[in-house]
Amino acid sequence: MTEPLLSTTGLVARYGLFQALHGVDITLNAGEVVSLIGANGAGKSTLLKSIMGLISVGRDMVRLDGVPVGGSAPHKMVGRGVAIVPEGRRLFAGMSVEDNLRVAIDHAGPMQPNGWTLARVFALFPILQEKRKVPVESLSGGQQQMVAIGRALLNQPRILLCDEISLGLAPKVVKEIYAALPSISAAGTAIILVEQDVSLARSASNRLYCMLEGRVTLSGNSADITRDAISDAYFGGSHALA
Amino acid sequence: MHWLDGLVQGILLGGLFAQYALGMALMFGVMRIVNITHGDLMVLLALIGISLASSYALGPWSVLVLLVLIGGFLGWALQRAILNRVVGDDPLPSLIATFGLSVALQNLMLEVWSADTRSLPGGGIEQASFQLGPLFVGVLPLIVLVTATVLTGGLDAILRFTRFGRALRASSSDVEAAALTGVNPKSVYAGATAIAVAILGFAAVFQSLRSTVSPSDGPFQLIYAFEAVIIGGMGSIWGAFLGAMVLGISQSIGFRIDPGFGILAGHLVFLIVLAVRPQGILGKK
Repeated sequence: MTEPLLSTTGLVARYGLFQALHGVDITLNAGEVVSLIGANGAGKSTLLKSIMGLISVGRDMVRLDGVPVGGSAPHKMVGRGVAIVPEGRRLFAGMSVEDNLRVAIDHAGPMQPNGWTLARVFALFPILQEKRKVPVESLSGGQQQMVAIGRALLNQPRILLCDEISLGLAPKVVKEIYAALPSISAAGTAIILVEQDVSLARSASNRLYCMLEGRVTLSGNSADITRDAISDAYFGGSHALA
Repeated sequence: MHWLDGLVQGILLGGLFAQYALGMALMFGVMRIVNITHGDLMVLLALIGISLASSYALGPWSVLVLLVLIGGFLGWALQRAILNRVVGDDPLPSLIATFGLSVALQNLMLEVWSADTRSLPGGGIEQASFQLGPLFVGVLPLIVLVTATVLTGGLDAILRFTRFGRALRASSSDVEAAALTGVNPKSVYAGATAIAVAILGFAAVFQSLRSTVSPSDGPFQLIYAFEAVIIGGMGSIWGAFLGAMVLGISQSIGFRIDPGFGILAGHLVFLIVLAVRPQGILGKK
């Protein structure tokens, strides 16, 4: 059996005294899109932050191609081909769209065979080309999200982590953003989607994990899992842990 | 004529202030690190330069090259050893750490160099001047002004157009997001502080050529640098240059009103700018 592209085993994470993750095991294989769903505070964003090295975790808890990398500094994770679209976009205010994207190009991981270029990002989100010289803070929320996604892509990720990319956006814009995902994954990038909207999460992914209070309560193929099972896993129900 | 001369001398003095202010603009304006040792580092470099010049019979330009290199190294080491531990959204830890370091540095310099005032022999360049119409313009102040202008333009271009500059601007905008985009903020900050202190190498040579330095001079230079950055507008490199000019002209005109009024005039103009335009001349709100 080949090693999964990315895996966590027994991942625990703390914010001071508060333990946010209690032994989370997930895997991501090459070419997959995996969704992480769960209520607010379930630990989805914490899981992504732990993978990126923003929260210190044990070395063996996160593996990339089977190699332990847990607790590496964020810039080292980027260098290994893991990029993130952070929650709330976190663009570099005061800098133009193009300069935001250039920071990612400057510090990209190893170029992939079918690598992302500024031109390809502009082809994916044409509005960004038009606004390339404009300071990012003057863009609309949806356009800012496009910059955040473009910035992560220009890091040349093998694995793209997307944290709540639909949050606070109009439904039409969400549709536009999600329409870009298939072409990202077609380029060979595996994706983990953290998503509040369960039906969106199901339709956009191959597999999904549902989290509750820092644990995975359900996992399986997105197409096979019933709404009832999700509802139980999401709110506790029969899967609630004692 | 009196006033025109004041204006010209003020612009020339502003060139020196700009050299203090550039590093401050980079550290305080861009990185939000309050470095209280800024002036002391300039004095330290000047004293090292004066000692090097007398021990090895070096001319001012060789001293300049050495001090820029030493300054770069000192800045890098300062950031790596101390400032990277205290950098963050809260400017207070860096202020406290560098305040302590400033006191220690002054006492160390007092121990090594004693309280004497010293200056760097310039081989006549410090007195040379030429006549421009009715005015006498010093050669050294003119060199200082040209150097300051080139340094400002160069630093501004580095921030705007280079990989390092983008990484630094990104880190100061959102350090966590920068790290998530592949930037190593600690090495970027170390590079920035190295540049800031290397520029003080220029200031050190010119200050000790035109006037004197002694171990306790640092805080005055620190105040001028702060004032120039705030008058010009935080985060703007050309703003710091402009702020230095305003400060230089205010002091120079003030001296002509009354010899005791010069430095106070600079402070008053600074306070007026703070009251009327707190974001500074080129600053955005």
